[in-house]
Amino acid sequence: MPLRVVRSGALPPALNMGLDEALLVTPGPSTLRLYSWDPPGVSLGYFQASGPAAAVTERHDLVRRLTGGGAIHHDREITFALTADLDLVPHGVEDLYVLIHDAVASALRRCGVAARRVPGGPPTKPRPDEWWCFAQAGAFDLVTPEGRKIVGSAQRRTRRPHRRVLHHGSVVLSVPSGTPGCGAVDQQADLAQVTPTLWRALPDEIANALGLPGVTATLTQTETALGEELARTRYDDDAFTLRR
Amino acid sequence: MRPEDRHYLKSHEWCKIADGVATLGITDFAVSHLSDLVFLDLPAVGSTVTHGEPFGEIESVKAVSDLYSAVSGEVLEANDGLPENLELLNTDPFEAAWMIKVKLTDQSSDLLDAAAYEEHCKSEDQ
Repeated sequence: MPLRVVRSGALPPALNMGLDEALLVTPGPSTLRLYSWDPPGVSLGYFQASGPAAAVTERHDLVRRLTGGGAIHHDREITFALTADLDLVPHGVEDLYVLIHDAVASALRRCGVAARRVPGGPPTKPRPDEWWCFAQAGAFDLVTPEGRKIVGSAQRRTRRPHRRVLHHGSVVLSVPSGTPGCGAVDQQADLAQVTPTLWRALPDEIANALGLPGVTATLTQTETALGEELARTRYDDDAFTLRR
Repeated sequence: MRPEDRHYLKSHEWCKIADGVATLGITDFAVSHLSDLVFLDLPAVGSTVTHGEPFGEIESVKAVSDLYSAVSGEVLEANDGLPENLELLNTDPFEAAWMIKVKLTDQSSDLLDAAAYEEHCKSEDQ
């Protein structure tokens, strides 16, 4: 069974989140959707408090992700969302982070960008100190040689109606104002030159790591319609975004 | 062997029924596979849960997972201290780390006894 590769381009934050949820809940092939954000967005981790987002002064749309982790200022980045039956990917939460992040590190290397994976280990604190995901590197994140976080991920796992996973990842192209200390591709390479390569290399390497042939595709009408509905009814709704 | 005085779901929740009240929690297998737990959301007292549907959510290593109910009914009590003391799930998942108590009106037909759940865990680990 192939890995469906969907390059969505730049979409509004709520629609990006709606489409990813649609892909999680709709039975179907493993799908890797790659996208960016227009307008820029701030996404909250599923359990996070929304208050600190008010400190972001640039125009942005605020959304809450289905996945965990910390808040992300999505400005110039490539975001990817892998949705798959759990039977088709490594079962363990940490195993999937390792597989995906090693593949992303390979894709970055093809663009002349060095990144290494932070080793796993026992947690030192019960909860992370930082509200921003990219303010601090944690286990399994990808960091630059200087130790700045350049790639982070989070997951949502569900068993019903299907045992599936949504794995969100962000590859930072340029440092956003929300997390000025993080790493970015443009610190090591010319974005104009490497960005087109990265859009190809990311799905190539992730498909290879999963052992699935990557096939370029588009979303079905059903997936798109459900994504648009979820964007309206959930991700554009303050009752969901500001619930905490 | 896990406790035999209760039943289990394939999604790794346990359910202990006594005098029309079901106590729900998650198993040691679930805890070990989720690893470092950071957040837990439980339903409010007075709300209702439905068997086969999520009754709560838990986050570990930036991964959010649903918790599924083995029974239907009204939530009588929630273990309010648990979200701030998630270590209990590692040390005592079958007693101190219970999650909610439900006034039972219906229950799942997919409940496993301890022996069947043991086999299920082995198959998931393969």
